[in-house]
Amino acid sequence: MYPSLTIPVPDFLDSIPVEHRKDPHALLQILIQIQHAYHHVPKEAAKRLAEEMGVPLVRVQGLLSFYSFLSPEPQGDYVIHFSDNITDQMLGNRGLAAHLCQRLGVKLGETRKDGRVSVHFTSCTGMCDQGPAALVNYLPVTNLDQERIERIADLVNAQIPLQDWPPEFFTVKSQIRRSDVVFRKPIEPGEGIRASLERGGAFLAEWAEDLAPSDARKHHLERGGAETLKEIYRSELRGRGGAGFKTGIKWESVRDAKSSDHYVLCNADEGEPGTFKDRVLLTDYADMVFEGMTICGHAVGSKTGILYLRQEYWYMKEHLEKVLSRRREAGLLGKGILGTALDFDIELHFGAGAYICGMETAMIKSIEGRRGIPRRRWPLPVHQGYLRCPTVVNNVETFAAATVISAKGGAWFAHNGTGQSTGTKLFCVSGDCERPGIYEYPWGVSVHEVLRDCGALDAQGVQVGGPSGTMINTREFDRSACFEDLVGTGTLMIFGPQRDMFEAVKNFALFFQHESCGLCTPCRVGTTLLANYVRKFEKGCGSPVDLKEMQNISGLMKTMAHCGLGQTANHHITESIEKFPAIWKGRMKTTEFIPAFDLDGALEEARNLTGRTDPEAHLAPDHAPMEA
Amino acid sequence: MSSSFFLDGKAIPFKEGQTVLQAAMSAGHYIPHLCWRPELEPHSSCRLCTVIISGKPFSSCTQPAMEGQNVECDTPELKAMRRAVTQLLFVEGNHYCPSCEESGGCKLQATAYYLGMQDNHFPHQFPVRVRDSSHPLVNLDRDRCIRCETCVRASRELDGKNVFAIHGRGIRSKLAVNSPTGLLKDSGISPEDMAVKLCPTGALTVKRVGFEFPIGQRIFDQESIATLELREYANQEAVHG
Repeated sequence: MYPSLTIPVPDFLDSIPVEHRKDPHALLQILIQIQHAYHHVPKEAAKRLAEEMGVPLVRVQGLLSFYSFLSPEPQGDYVIHFSDNITDQMLGNRGLAAHLCQRLGVKLGETRKDGRVSVHFTSCTGMCDQGPAALVNYLPVTNLDQERIERIADLVNAQIPLQDWPPEFFTVKSQIRRSDVVFRKPIEPGEGIRASLERGGAFLAEWAEDLAPSDARKHHLERGGAETLKEIYRSELRGRGGAGFKTGIKWESVRDAKSSDHYVLCNADEGEPGTFKDRVLLTDYADMVFEGMTICGHAVGSKTGILYLRQEYWYMKEHLEKVLSRRREAGLLGKGILGTALDFDIELHFGAGAYICGMETAMIKSIEGRRGIPRRRWPLPVHQGYLRCPTVVNNVETFAAATVISAKGGAWFAHNGTGQSTGTKLFCVSGDCERPGIYEYPWGVSVHEVLRDCGALDAQGVQVGGPSGTMINTREFDRSACFEDLVGTGTLMIFGPQRDMFEAVKNFALFFQHESCGLCTPCRVGTTLLANYVRKFEKGCGSPVDLKEMQNISGLMKTMAHCGLGQTANHHITESIEKFPAIWKGRMKTTEFIPAFDLDGALEEARNLTGRTDPEAHLAPDHAPMEA
Repeated sequence: MSSSFFLDGKAIPFKEGQTVLQAAMSAGHYIPHLCWRPELEPHSSCRLCTVIISGKPFSSCTQPAMEGQNVECDTPELKAMRRAVTQLLFVEGNHYCPSCEESGGCKLQATAYYLGMQDNHFPHQFPVRVRDSSHPLVNLDRDRCIRCETCVRASRELDGKNVFAIHGRGIRSKLAVNSPTGLLKDSGISPEDMAVKLCPTGALTVKRVGFEFPIGQRIFDQESIATLELREYANQEAVHG
């Protein structure tokens, strides 16, 4: 059924272009290809790649153990990953996964003995508005329910190839519920880059008369780029990935950094649970995203752009490649764009399952074919980024906005929004609401307004900006989404009155523990200790001392962690203690300290060794273990 | 005219290209650290050398020194946080100081003493980690590894061998050995390697020379880690300029 699974490994490797096979920067991309073909990376493939690339085998293994979607051990013919975001959990994914495992006779996290199927949980797959979702052989399946689970079990048991599964299983809807001035009407392909190039003035105008034709073309190009940069400054555009750095400053720094090569990287890692706007933009507005990268290439003097997509969006590969080749045919990419001296092209790179790769320096390392560990702060990527060259890293939405700014002007763009947050923003709305999906609003919109529009006025709380963002309760619904107040990736996960907010806290704590890269002490150990405390409360063994301890650890992570992940991987703890104190108080049995371990259970080994079974060998009942 | 910045109010001269930590050490001001070594590329993973500049935390081992900047280093808050981070290192591994042959020569232990650490404070994790005693001369005890990657960098940058790497992610990340079997005996390690010598804990030790000095005569029985590191740094600067 999967012909590629039966191709001998050496033949498969031979089919990969040799220059690719010898380039260590391609290591991750090749491992992904192998994973897709064999559903794991066979030892002989790892060994041969290490030899051909001239890298230690230990480095190849390092990647396999770092990225969640790469596996050194064989997986089933069907590999099923259930998305395990809190929004999936609220829609019943846990029960569905358990049911599927039972139907298939496989344990969660394992492969069935006959090698047919493996079932796992994975972090949010970006389908929160149409969950519960899963990936089957790395392709998204949405809107799971009991009926679909039964069908999937039948299809797997009957060994039906994926292409013969009901196509509606794989439908991914864009669900744009509200659009505003920036995205209401897509910019026609070419409109933004043409405007950018035309800012160079009428070609071969008077000023160019004394110059050689090639110099005149170059001069024209640089003038246009400089004028476009001015428009970006005028728009006061700030990065849409969450940090909100001024795009103009970033582009200018890269343009002015001396180097033979400059790079434009588009961050479509979109791992923040609850976020799916990049998925929608790349589906419905891919031209605008690619064009924004091209405009950036024009403004900063770069010839190469790279779109880094999370593995969960592998299904978009074909679509995006089509858009790229259409743009090349239309003269909007490649050599001599629109007949000018501008050369710029775009490659696709994929991640392999690591939230940390959304962090720009981790993403750069991942694109270089390495483990996605955030590197040290200096030098900044604008000076030494990808391959140590000056590099722009912007979010998908930022590039799309740049296209609009180039086409319509910076002043037009800045007209919308608030003082420090110009333009509009895409919000990803999911959870307990009538109309989940994408909403575009000018910056400054209140949470209340979004809740009204999506049909969630009875919400008890909203997680704004994903787990690393802010948790708010009803008293804060008049707060507004903008850089002056609630910053973030534009994600709203809504919790209805029936929900236990503790479940969200637990989901986030386990998520961060799973996604911490392990580089720095505060995050590596801190996320684990926090997750353990949450488990302790879950058992009803919490005490006020533990709450204080969790706040201390959170403060420690905030100040001492190496990167933004560790610094924010505690917000869910501190904010839920402050805003939803009842979920913690209800899980404390006393106001005194209770140990998490089972005192009587710890004596079991001693009882076994001494052969004691009498009551005297047990602790008194009031020391007996607490029911879990 | 030489440039200078202020470390807790004291003027510290620096040369172009120096980090805050290097300049401070040159001037005789010790900033606690575990993953930083003067002869290796900085790593900024242990986070002990964190300082506050203009209200924001930075690891001083990677932060370039800049003219006139005010660096807060020995504030009560930072001291407490350094102690807490060290406690995190103790509870995530299995550190049996009383029976460890590195005791008294261990930088983790000496740093803990320097920071006034009296207990481990946080709940112990008691991880199960695999020891590698396969090599006749070098022992790898992962229980004591703090994942500072000193050996990874030293093997690559100083020994030119690439014997070590980190595998896994998060709390489950671990030190891996580059050999066909994954065992030290089949790797290119040698007891003379800087990777072994520079390990700040007892994770990598040379066999058959343990407990060489009795209690009272061990390295950190004689002097604090601050004194030792400052002297070593000064010697190194005198040699390399």
